Amino acid sequence: MRKIIILMLVLVSGFAVKAQYPGYTAVADLAKFKTAFAAATQKTNSIKADFVQDKNLSMLSEKITSKGNFWFKKDSRVRMEYTTPFKYLMILNKDKAYVKDGAKESKVSTKSNKMFQQINKIMIDCMQGATLDNTDFKTRVFENKTSALVELTPVTKGMKEMFKSINVIVDKKDFSVVSIQMQELSGDNTIMRFTNKELNAAIPDNLFDIN
Amino acid sequence: MILISSLVILFGCAPSYKQMQSAVADVQVLQKFKPAFSVALYNTTVDVVGNHLSGLLLIKKMPDSSTRMVFSNEMGFSFFDFGFKPGGDFKVYSIMKKLDKRSVIKTLQHDFELILMNNLDNSKAVVKTNAGFTYFIFPQSKGFNYYITNQSGTELIRMERASNKKTIVEAVMKNYINGIPDTIGISHKTFEFNIGLKRIER
Repeated sequence: MRKIIILMLVLVSGFAVKAQYPGYTAVADLAKFKTAFAAATQKTNSIKADFVQDKNLSMLSEKITSKGNFWFKKDSRVRMEYTTPFKYLMILNKDKAYVKDGAKESKVSTKSNKMFQQINKIMIDCMQGATLDNTDFKTRVFENKTSALVELTPVTKGMKEMFKSINVIVDKKDFSVVSIQMQELSGDNTIMRFTNKELNAAIPDNLFDIN
Repeated sequence: MILISSLVILFGCAPSYKQMQSAVADVQVLQKFKPAFSVALYNTTVDVVGNHLSGLLLIKKMPDSSTRMVFSNEMGFSFFDFGFKPGGDFKVYSIMKKLDKRSVIKTLQHDFELILMNNLDNSKAVVKTNAGFTYFIFPQSKGFNYYITNQSGTELIRMERASNKKTIVEAVMKNYINGIPDTIGISHKTFEFNIGLKRIER
């Protein structure tokens, strides 16, 4: 009887996973996946890409699409420049952040600003392959032939107040990030898709300067 | 910068309510200034007691005639989602924990109600004049909402939320395109809290 119940639970949980992420199955050997992920991201010193961001407002049946350029360089430096339909620049350089919206420039220490600290950690971890070690989240990993889906469910209070979950899809070929999907508690979500990726492109250091 | 300059010019001449004189004018002239939001996206800046934040405000008229306002940062994270019904009902659909305070919600609700112009009960309106401007005054549950036009009623000079004695909030809506203002400014007079909206073409 006990065996039947366990078998049923396994089957039900298997169906639940399939229903949750169609086309994906749970990664069987997580340790092996982690090693491959870490090894691949170890080789990536910089990333240059374009991005398209869609914020889907489910209740309003509206989508806000914005586009821009993205640069990442080890260690812990990110530059995101929104170009359409608005101009917005954000630079994350270790524990400092710089924001330019319109003519207004702001510098923030990510140590003192919790939201920037969290954005900083998520973005940098995604690029440096440390996502699976982020203790702010419970992690599950799924895969199909070409990509892996890392599901991050917040466990800390601060993150739980902001997100229901964050899904990061990486290309299994080089473990570079294909998309980041942030699911909000309200049911709205934001998907950032990266295209025209150039790994290990020459990126000048001064792109990340915060003076 | 243009928005800030125009706010300074317009808000530099706050009314002295005591000097106003009774007048006669058709309250219906205000209808043409009521923003006809079908759906509009605004680049938004908020300055509050030394803190600056920016983001996007989406305003959408819903099939049930309510108006929804969703404010999020540029990366997509939502700060709040409010609903305003024509009869004056207000609903908070979601709000980030840090902002979820009665005083914050009430302030934002009243600020946006002033610019939405939903609660204009013509039967209660009082019309006054001062210094060449016409003041359309609408009593609220607390205080008054003022809509101030030029004498001919062709231009909305500014809007105000006030108590019996002093101005609490001043607001402007400028450059209407197809009934939707291109620029909106809200400025509090009792503490530093300014909201600037500039419409984004999508």
